[in-house]
Amino acid sequence: MLEISNARKTFFKGMPDEKVALDGLSLKLNRGDFVVVIGSNGAGKSTMMNAISGALLVDSGRIVINGDDVTTMPVHARARHVARVFQDPMKGTAASMTIAENMLLADLRQNPARLRRGLTPQRREKYREHLSYLGLGLENRFDTQVSLLSGGQRQSLSLVMAVSGEPDVLLLDEHTAALDPRTADLVLNATLRAVNALKLTTMMVTHNMAHAVEYGNRVIMLDSGKVLLELSGEEKARATVRDLIGHFSVKTDRMVLGV
Amino acid sequence: MIDIFNAWVAMIPATLAQSLILSFVVMAVMLPFRILSFPDLTSEGSYPLGGCVCAMTLVAGAPPLVALLAAAAAGFLAGCLTAFIHLRFRIHTLLAGILITTMLYSINLRIMGKANTPLFQETKIFGWLADVGLTDSWVKIVLVGAMILLLALALNLWFLTEHGTAMRAVGANAEMAEAQGINVWGVTIGGVGLAGACAAFGGGLMAQSQSFADVNMGLGVLINALAALMIGEGLIGRKTIQRQIAAVVVGAVVYYQLISVCLAVGLPPGDLKIATGVFVLIMLAAPSLGLKRAGAQPKECFKE
Ligand SMILES: Nc1ncnc2c1ncn2[C@@H]1O[C@H](COP(=O)(O)OP(=O)(O)OP(=O)(O)O)[C@@H](O)[C@H]1O
Ligand SMILES: [Mg+2]
Repeated sequence: MLEISNARKTFFKGMPDEKVALDGLSLKLNRGDFVVVIGSNGAGKSTMMNAISGALLVDSGRIVINGDDVTTMPVHARARHVARVFQDPMKGTAASMTIAENMLLADLRQNPARLRRGLTPQRREKYREHLSYLGLGLENRFDTQVSLLSGGQRQSLSLVMAVSGEPDVLLLDEHTAALDPRTADLVLNATLRAVNALKLTTMMVTHNMAHAVEYGNRVIMLDSGKVLLELSGEEKARATVRDLIGHFSVKTDRMVLGV
Repeated sequence: MIDIFNAWVAMIPATLAQSLILSFVVMAVMLPFRILSFPDLTSEGSYPLGGCVCAMTLVAGAPPLVALLAAAAAGFLAGCLTAFIHLRFRIHTLLAGILITTMLYSINLRIMGKANTPLFQETKIFGWLADVGLTDSWVKIVLVGAMILLLALALNLWFLTEHGTAMRAVGANAEMAEAQGINVWGVTIGGVGLAGACAAFGGGLMAQSQSFADVNMGLGVLINALAALMIGEGLIGRKTIQRQIAAVVVGAVVYYQLISVCLAVGLPPGDLKIATGVFVLIMLAAPSLGLKRAGAQPKECFKE
């Protein structure tokens, strides 16, 4: 479903503070894979997500989604394939527009805008139903401006918008990190329900090792723009938080030793 | 007092006609500023551009409606250019507008070959209603009123379509809009172009209304339009897209009547800019002075 081959991205190329964010990264996701991505700060997780969504173009390498080579496509051209929930709840929704209008915008990802009425009664009905899965009552505040929602509600809305239309790839970059524990749980549970129900091919970045152990069928650890560790199937099922944390310390030891 | 009142009433038809023409420019200020979050000054240049193009097309013998459409097309290009240099070279929107406006001054001079063009011989669009038995001012009011009404209705419908919703999303959150598959560049260039077309159409109407075009006719039109927009928004609010569009026309009409009252009271024309500035200040300061603005309800707070 998603294949990254030998992706490279260097920031500030040729300058003293040159930073290699993706260092020949290769990765393949099969349809329905739920991959949890872990790695220390600056490992290149967000850069990888940006490269997939098109927010950043890679310097070299190739990215193919569902058979389409998207390597040089801008964000809006890839939107058909990729949906994304950002860490910042403000980023994923249009604050000055209503919940219904935001849902319509998400609909336009799969069906590019045309000169026809946007919020038809049929669509409103459909969106209402999708929102009701959250159990937050957002479906009853359909014509409320999104700016009046709490961060958690906005993030929940972003999630519903992202999974609507069943994107080829769903990208979640620490999408619960800015929420209080209770709301984070709520959003995470909604995520898992949607991903399971729709069998979405998903990549979720998290710093929570318990989540990495518990969720998904694969876990990958990035380090300095490369895949340092990959567990799937049985291995993934057997992995413990201690195992994963162990890999972080191996990395730190290596840094201390300078090898 | 009665004298002042009579003087004001006597001016109503003329000022109403003027304000309806100005409302095209107010629309041109509102669209980028409020819908696309692209504060834009290009109107100051595209308005006289519309006047000049309209004048030359009329002189060349084209029918008045064709001349207006030619003006709109020229304004569209000017708007597109402003948006493009902002997007491509990352120049601030205001600076991009000033650059284009500055260059347009020379272009307008080139188009006309001289500073102004009289249009007394040419047939104007207002000739359409010449035989209806209305005074000149009322002909303008009916015709221009119908046009701005048509534009307002068309925009209203547009913003209910998928394309219109996408356009609003670009102004609300460009990054999110892009992630939903909306071509932010295309929408921005088209939207600011549309605004340029509105301003130039207004310039064309003004040239036909006053029977001449002048390269300096844009002087100060932007601040007038902005004042009108602030007044309209103060009165009508901008909570919904319908209100936002209505505020344009209402603002233009009310603003010109306020100016007309100032003139009736005997304010020298040279002091009108101060009056304009004070109107804008009052509208902008009203919320912080605790004066409740109609339509702008206080933010509600919801609990989860
Ligand atoms: N836009 C940018 N310009 C310059 N450098 C960048 C940019 N984005 C990322 N980097 C650098 O690339 C490296 C990888 O950053 P990235 O954001 O991908 O890390 P991350 O794994 O997401 O970290 P975190 O866990 O803190 O979110 C870092 O060294 C960062 O400083
Ligand atoms: Mg990150």
